[in-house]
Amino acid sequence: MKNTIVSVGSKFPEFKKISVVSLEKGNEFYDITSEDHINAEKWMVMFWWPKDFTFVCPTEIAEFNRKTSDFADRDAILIGASTDSENVHLAWRKNHDDLRDLQFPMLADTSKSLAEELGILEANEKIAYRATYIVDPQGIIRWVSVNDLSVGRNVDEVLRVLDALQTDELCPCNWVKGEATLA
Amino acid sequence: MYPFAATGNTKDSLYKEINLPADFESVLMNKLAALDHRYLKDLKINIGNVLKSQNINRKEALLIALSVAVNEKNTALISAIEELAAAEGADEKEFAEVTACVSLMNANNVFYRFRHFMDKEFYNNAPAGIKMSIMVNPVLGKEFFELLSLVVSALNGCEMCVTSHEQSVLNHGGTQARIFDAVRIGAVFKSFTVLI
Repeated sequence: MKNTIVSVGSKFPEFKKISVVSLEKGNEFYDITSEDHINAEKWMVMFWWPKDFTFVCPTEIAEFNRKTSDFADRDAILIGASTDSENVHLAWRKNHDDLRDLQFPMLADTSKSLAEELGILEANEKIAYRATYIVDPQGIIRWVSVNDLSVGRNVDEVLRVLDALQTDELCPCNWVKGEATLA
Repeated sequence: MYPFAATGNTKDSLYKEINLPADFESVLMNKLAALDHRYLKDLKINIGNVLKSQNINRKEALLIALSVAVNEKNTALISAIEELAAAEGADEKEFAEVTACVSLMNANNVFYRFRHFMDKEFYNNAPAGIKMSIMVNPVLGKEFFELLSLVVSALNGCEMCVTSHEQSVLNHGGTQARIFDAVRIGAVFKSFTVLI
């Protein structure tokens, strides 16, 4: 069976999913939608992992967390996601030292509808592959990277790609005949 | 609205990254920070990025940044960068050499730029009479010394110096990619020193 993921050039699927945004009692959950980043005129970096409460994931998540302000500087909102429910996310955050002060939401794709629509659902256990999406402020996917289950990601590489996608070399010395000018 | 994480103060995190004290006073930086100006984020990103070249290791990148700080006479930045470079293994001899190189290049950038402007036989042939013995056996190695000289010359706008040092770096085994990244460091750190 053909293995297709929603990739560069496609519009990121519409979604509305509950996510864990804090450990503060009463304010733990928030519904994130695909429109949120577009309305805020920001890029969206969504990175998926297979399962909460496992080993590789927290080291990566902690690394993304350490670099949250680097993403924010580049006008990108960071969203972590897996097919675990919001309660599992909350329990994991409370349980793991590195995750308690997470600066970004953990999206719960409990029904697996989003992972399925993206084509990143592993067929056997129906958990998400380690996929990372960079989506521009118009909602178009500009980069996708998928690792098999046990291979972690390099967050610096995600930032490097984001920088390269956002290149805004507007000064006249970079103008090529025929291109639109600043005026 | 979505509870996005607050980015925190860009000026503060920029100072931290470059090892300037948190209470460092800069009228222009404060002006931008007061408006949370977009440029501060770009500046922070630019500084972070240029120090992370594939072709230049961190110690070298910091020494190049140091040469900009010396050229632009910013004592606070000089101390800040020296500390960062020391953490990467740079020592007093290397700092002294960077300083000497910048000074020498300042002389050369004036002198050889004049020669190039005029392109008259007399000026081209009369001996310069400027001693440059530190170029002979630099502790930083010839290739890197030439690279530093190139960046300082680019800062000071001496065409003849830039083209000659570029060729010299290539002759000593440097690559165009390495030169490109070195000049980017010079450019970005100049953009910073002009504010502080």
